[in-house]
Amino acid sequence: MRRRDFLISATALAGAGGGLFAYGQRIAGSAAYPGRELGHWLRDAASLPTASETLETDVLIAGSGVAGLTAAWALKKGGVNEVLTVPGPEPHGNAAGGSDGGLRFPTGAHYLPLPSLESRHVREMLFEFGILQKDPYAPRPTYDERYLIHAPAERVLYAGAWQEGYLPTDGVSVDERAQHTRFFDIVDFYSNARGSDGKRAFAVPLEASSKEQRFLDLDKTSFRAWLVGQELEAPTLLWYLDYCCRDDYGRHLDEISAWAGLHYFCSRDGEAANAEKGAVLTWPEGLCALTERLERGAGGRRNWLEGSIARLSVGESGVEALAVAVRDGIPKTTRIKARYAVAAMPLYVLQHVFDGLSGYGFTRQRDLPRYAPWLVANFLMHAFPEEQPGAPLSWDNVVYREPGMGYVVSTHQDIRMSRPERTAFTAYYALSDAEPEETRRWLDRASGDELIHAASRDLRLAYGWRLPLCVERVAITVRGHAMAVPEPGFLSAAGRLALRDSQGPLYFAHSDLSGLSVFEEAAWWGYRAAAQIVARRA
Amino acid sequence: MFDRILVISVFFVASCGLAYELIAGALSSYLLGDSVMQFSTVIGCYLFAMGVGAHISRYIRDEDVLTRFVEVELAIGFIGGISAALLFLAFAWLAAPFRALLYVLVFAIGALIGMEIPLVMRALHARQAQFADLVSRVLTFDYLGALAVALLFPMLLAPHLGLARSGFLFGMLNVAVAFWTILAFGTQVQRPRGKVLRAAIIFAILCAGFLASDRLVYWGERGMYGDEIVHAITTPYQRLVITRWHDDLRLYINGNLQFSSRDEHRYHEALVHPALESLPWARNALILGGGDGLALREILRYPNIKQVTLVDLDPQMTRLFSSSQPLVELNHDSFHDPRVRLINADAARWIETAQEDFDVAFVDFPDPSTFALGKLYSVPFYAMLKKRIAEHGLVVVQATSPFFAPHAYWCIEATLREAGFNTFPYHTYVPSFGEWGFILAGNENQFVPPKHYRLPMRYLNAAVSEEMFSFPPDMQRIEVEPNHLNSQALVRYFDEDWHRAIR
Repeated sequence: MRRRDFLISATALAGAGGGLFAYGQRIAGSAAYPGRELGHWLRDAASLPTASETLETDVLIAGSGVAGLTAAWALKKGGVNEVLTVPGPEPHGNAAGGSDGGLRFPTGAHYLPLPSLESRHVREMLFEFGILQKDPYAPRPTYDERYLIHAPAERVLYAGAWQEGYLPTDGVSVDERAQHTRFFDIVDFYSNARGSDGKRAFAVPLEASSKEQRFLDLDKTSFRAWLVGQELEAPTLLWYLDYCCRDDYGRHLDEISAWAGLHYFCSRDGEAANAEKGAVLTWPEGLCALTERLERGAGGRRNWLEGSIARLSVGESGVEALAVAVRDGIPKTTRIKARYAVAAMPLYVLQHVFDGLSGYGFTRQRDLPRYAPWLVANFLMHAFPEEQPGAPLSWDNVVYREPGMGYVVSTHQDIRMSRPERTAFTAYYALSDAEPEETRRWLDRASGDELIHAASRDLRLAYGWRLPLCVERVAITVRGHAMAVPEPGFLSAAGRLALRDSQGPLYFAHSDLSGLSVFEEAAWWGYRAAAQIVARRA
Repeated sequence: MFDRILVISVFFVASCGLAYELIAGALSSYLLGDSVMQFSTVIGCYLFAMGVGAHISRYIRDEDVLTRFVEVELAIGFIGGISAALLFLAFAWLAAPFRALLYVLVFAIGALIGMEIPLVMRALHARQAQFADLVSRVLTFDYLGALAVALLFPMLLAPHLGLARSGFLFGMLNVAVAFWTILAFGTQVQRPRGKVLRAAIIFAILCAGFLASDRLVYWGERGMYGDEIVHAITTPYQRLVITRWHDDLRLYINGNLQFSSRDEHRYHEALVHPALESLPWARNALILGGGDGLALREILRYPNIKQVTLVDLDPQMTRLFSSSQPLVELNHDSFHDPRVRLINADAARWIETAQEDFDVAFVDFPDPSTFALGKLYSVPFYAMLKKRIAEHGLVVVQATSPFFAPHAYWCIEATLREAGFNTFPYHTYVPSFGEWGFILAGNENQFVPPKHYRLPMRYLNAAVSEEMFSFPPDMQRIEVEPNHLNSQALVRYFDEDWHRAIR
């Protein structure tokens, strides 16, 4: 055998082996970009075709996310029947879900903390849906246990083994653990703190929080700066709090207001008669379970006009709107005249749809939040991969010090003897390492494989080469503007405060009015807009 | 040409070498646990043995190199090939010297493999290949072979072929290399005919082993269970093994004893008759679990029962218990009774969507040893069950041992109460299980243990029944949390209780 032959055969052999391995390790998938095309077209469109027909309605709801659906549901309950919903590009928005052959999974948010005493609006809807079964406004009501997170709830992969909880404690020094305790003592203090106005320091809805200056001062610094000031710098604690900031607000803790950082921990003190403190509610399809019930409660989609609201204006007799729907690539518009309207859309869209924003004192520079981009990747699995040692597969599974937010098991809440034949692992990924603008440009040009690579990092670390052998395919939802980022100063953005106080006929309803992208806030503004309209009509 | 054959042999030889090492490591960590320890010691022993083998190779004379290489290959093929099966049988039948045998085998294989590479190098060197070139080629293929097996073993071989079969397969590969060498270098190998014969015999043995490894595993299990195995099947859900010793039939699921025919009548009479004797009007019965048909046998004795619905997950289990002669004799062919409706479904999923009502239900699930099984003993599960039970109907739940797992037992009782049932706990002694517990539950706030049984019983009478419902001082009720899904207290109780009870 000559050297050349040898080299050739060795390379071929290694190449064939490597190729085979690489082929087996590929994960197939697809990516969806809800709202991207329509949004960019609306942003860039100079003029829209003239409307072919005009519709009149009592109330128009522009948007079908949590805020819009809550408004529709609350209007129905308030006896307002003539309501037209123009859903926008993605029904259910950040609470959307997907399905595949009987398997349901979230393509947006997936859980709801037990509502606190202030969140009466959430308790009301949960009670109506039978999720809250007894004493809806009591401190510790009874919930339907099928939806209370089942043990084991969460685990973290730390130093090569899984352990229970998010915050690692095994193999962590006594000094670090003392800092964990100290942080949660501070949380306890603020959870019970009330201002001289009698309100809690941190409440949900955020509007119900105390306005006392010593609390509002927390909004002047970043969460990291505040933690450093408290001498809380244990690496595990900082990682955990950074994880929470990225999970709830999409950015690292040095970009998040200390007020928002603490709000996450101190406002959610809801309890249940039949669950531990800190429990959450979840469904295989995530919060879509709630938005679907809201939609049904509001009468389904009979009162929907497919499309999106492209223009809004306030006139003498109410609100005028232009809805656009693209069918077969051809945009078709409809003029809508309504006595009242609820603009249930995010501010970055609203600024292009409603010229009158500046009339409320809203300035883009000061009042428009930055939006964090996210990937939600649903790995459809035909088998459960073998686990590393330690705590068993839980509902939420997080890898220490990874950019991903871990993954949630969609079939976790099943009550059954044997494991299901299929499941979905929903991996969340807040793209928080580069500037949002830059990341969105990357998202725009990234190939499917690049997205899959980015979204599968945590799962690869948890399961290694075994992962691809269990994955059928992955469905990625790209959310370029997933959530508003509560940066220091976000509480005092005057333009946003002004939108909250609109006296109609156009009302605004979106979690962006709070600045925190959570279900309770979005539902609150929808609920409040509906209440105002009901009161005005009476 | 001949050089190339030798170099390619290195690839296969190296892959076999690593394979034996992985098989020994995997098998010992599978059987003994502590995989870090097992892999470390196996690899250490193996590498050391390779060093010894390399050292010994210097005593082989130059003219014997190829002959010895063939002999070494045959020896590795034989010892390595049967090693996994041998270890498995040894573990099952003579547990004590398992470790000794493991390390002896690993050492022997390691020493032989340690001789291979030096012998190949010397053979090539004798053909005047450039030394630098030779070392590089041989070692490259050596490592490539290792890579191939390192990837194939965990992905393909271990999960699909199993350890014993993989061992035989690699043994055959070693013998094939020996064959190949004899064919290629016929003149330089001494007494080639005898060697071909020897190779053929070993190859045949390995082939037989490969084909019969199911049988070998059976013998291994027989050693573990101690009795003759009547049936052994692996279903998608569980491993079922049925053993017989004289007239004693036993069912093991995943190695855990489910019943012994010697005393199962105690368990099943206690499970079924206190409830059914008290419900002479009952017509429609439900069994969740119980795929062995034994509870079914007891229920069918009541002429007032018009229909029994049995929901069991595993169709292979119910098929076995409705077709195998000794098992059918045991359950009186209960599955073929026209009153029986068999549903092969996940009982927990089934009850959620079931529509009809039952007068009596028997819940005979596996013990709550995992979070998944714990959900079958939870407040919402019992609430779903309660909706399916007639107003004056009764439920009986298998509830682990009130003696060995008291927290778990009373937790199940508290859970049934939390779900809105009135409960009437009872217990009995089943020799092959020990003290065992059940909980009878219903909507009424009183239950009087039967003073008389209409049907003849082997175990129950008025005195036994009365005693079942009274708890002696060392088995008194413990105040525990009910099993809510959010915290699943039961799984932790069960785990802690059994840790205390067994060493």
